[in-house]
Amino acid sequence: MPTLEIEGKTFNVDGDGFLSSPEIWTEDVAKLFAKYDGINEMNEKHWAIVKLIRRNWEEKAMAPMVRTLCQETGVKLREIYELFPLGPARGACRIAGLPKPDGCV
Amino acid sequence: MEKALVEKGLKILENLQDGKLITHLNSCVHCGLCAESCIYYKATGDNRFTPARKVDLVASVYRRYCTFTGRLAPWLVNARELNDDTSKEMVDLLFGACTMCGRCTMHCSIGVDIAYVVRTGRAMLSNMGMVPASLQSTVNAAVETGNNMGIPVDEYVDTLKWMEEELADELNSKEARIPIDEPGKRILYTLNPREPKFFPLSISAMAKIFYAAGESWTLSSSMYDITNYAYFSGNQEEASLIAKRMWDEMDKLGSSRLVLAECGHGSRALRWESPNYLQQAFPFAVQTSVELIAEYLREGRIRLDKEKFKEAVTLHDPCNLVRNGGICSDQRYILKEFISDFREMTPCGTDNYCCGGGGGQLAMSEYNDRRMKTGKIKADQISRTGAKIVVSPCHNCVDQLSQINFSFKLNVQVKTMAELVADAIIL
Repeated sequence: MPTLEIEGKTFNVDGDGFLSSPEIWTEDVAKLFAKYDGINEMNEKHWAIVKLIRRNWEEKAMAPMVRTLCQETGVKLREIYELFPLGPARGACRIAGLPKPDGCV
Repeated sequence: MEKALVEKGLKILENLQDGKLITHLNSCVHCGLCAESCIYYKATGDNRFTPARKVDLVASVYRRYCTFTGRLAPWLVNARELNDDTSKEMVDLLFGACTMCGRCTMHCSIGVDIAYVVRTGRAMLSNMGMVPASLQSTVNAAVETGNNMGIPVDEYVDTLKWMEEELADELNSKEARIPIDEPGKRILYTLNPREPKFFPLSISAMAKIFYAAGESWTLSSSMYDITNYAYFSGNQEEASLIAKRMWDEMDKLGSSRLVLAECGHGSRALRWESPNYLQQAFPFAVQTSVELIAEYLREGRIRLDKEKFKEAVTLHDPCNLVRNGGICSDQRYILKEFISDFREMTPCGTDNYCCGGGGGQLAMSEYNDRRMKTGKIKADQISRTGAKIVVSPCHNCVDQLSQINFSFKLNVQVKTMAELVADAIIL
């Protein structure tokens, strides 16, 4: 199983770097994964999006639509792609500790 | 390995409708010219990745069970049993080290359709239930829910309505719409599910183009997914089922022209494979969105602002649209209409390198390391052009290119064709 080491902490991940055990996720894990993606400081908007993704996944076992992210956090669509350089799927969902979504992402 | 499982795999080799496969399995002369054409070999120098080796893997199993000498004296003809070792090697090389980009097929000195042989090998593995789990789950989502990301219909419709409102605001016109399930429209347009789920700007971009052209069009709420990952897993039954749904949707909505979203493999599976799957000629017209945009420009139905983009733009040719789909000049015609500094990659067009994300690679986490190694070839190609914008008419390529952009710090923008065109459209 591949692992990912960030600042001395080691995580079991899939080949794309998504957490193998989503249940071990904490906010500290999110901060570390964000750093790995070049987001040194998670701001309010980052947190609002990541927590919403996390909650949606815990309730419905899937990542929310990007529309839900925009409408419930008030963050503009184009801004989401700036906040997360790897995009909502490989970026935000990975930081929220979800398994990799299916499809062309 | 259980005998029943082996028989399932062999069924693909025995149940042939024509002599194509036999010809291609018996023709390789081991010249090795294909090696340099393959991104896996080029990126790693590993001989195992030579396309001829992949052909021989399938051919050796064929010889063992389907030829007289192979059955009697397998060691004489280097014939291999289909057992645990062989099937494991097949999964690793045919799924894990091939994007089915077909560049080797073009370079083959005698014209062996190598990608077709790989697909046949994948079909055997699919029959044996050995498709990598992540790829199969994408196929399953499409079969079970109607789209490969399992998006519920109401969430999809809400997204379209949201994009429609934003578009109407942006253009200050109630005529700028995203119609859903409207019967009798000239065009039924399709999407890649990643658009409504995560990247809906390409939907409103295309809607803006339709608006500018005064087009009569609609999307479907139940069958809009242009992708067909069963084409990659090699399962023809599932691939046919997915394709048939789109044919049925055309019939249901009564459109006369099906327009395929910017999706390389989806375009190929639908346009070039689905008549074979369904053993029937198309009862409607089929066109890719790139061809449609070029047609709008030729007919003067849309006009583009030549001053909009000053920066250098390069084009990534999706293998399944270009090399394997025959669409090579229309994307260049479009770009030359409004991009003053358009720079080709080397090589480009039908000889272009795959981005590394094709063949289902983006879905298969198992081979991520290899995918990013092969992606280095594309990163270098992009860097050498000095372009600041990379456009590619394929969402799958766009995703791989975005990761390449991030990993190799290229600092470029990656866009679909519709996004670039919509930004420059004159209303």
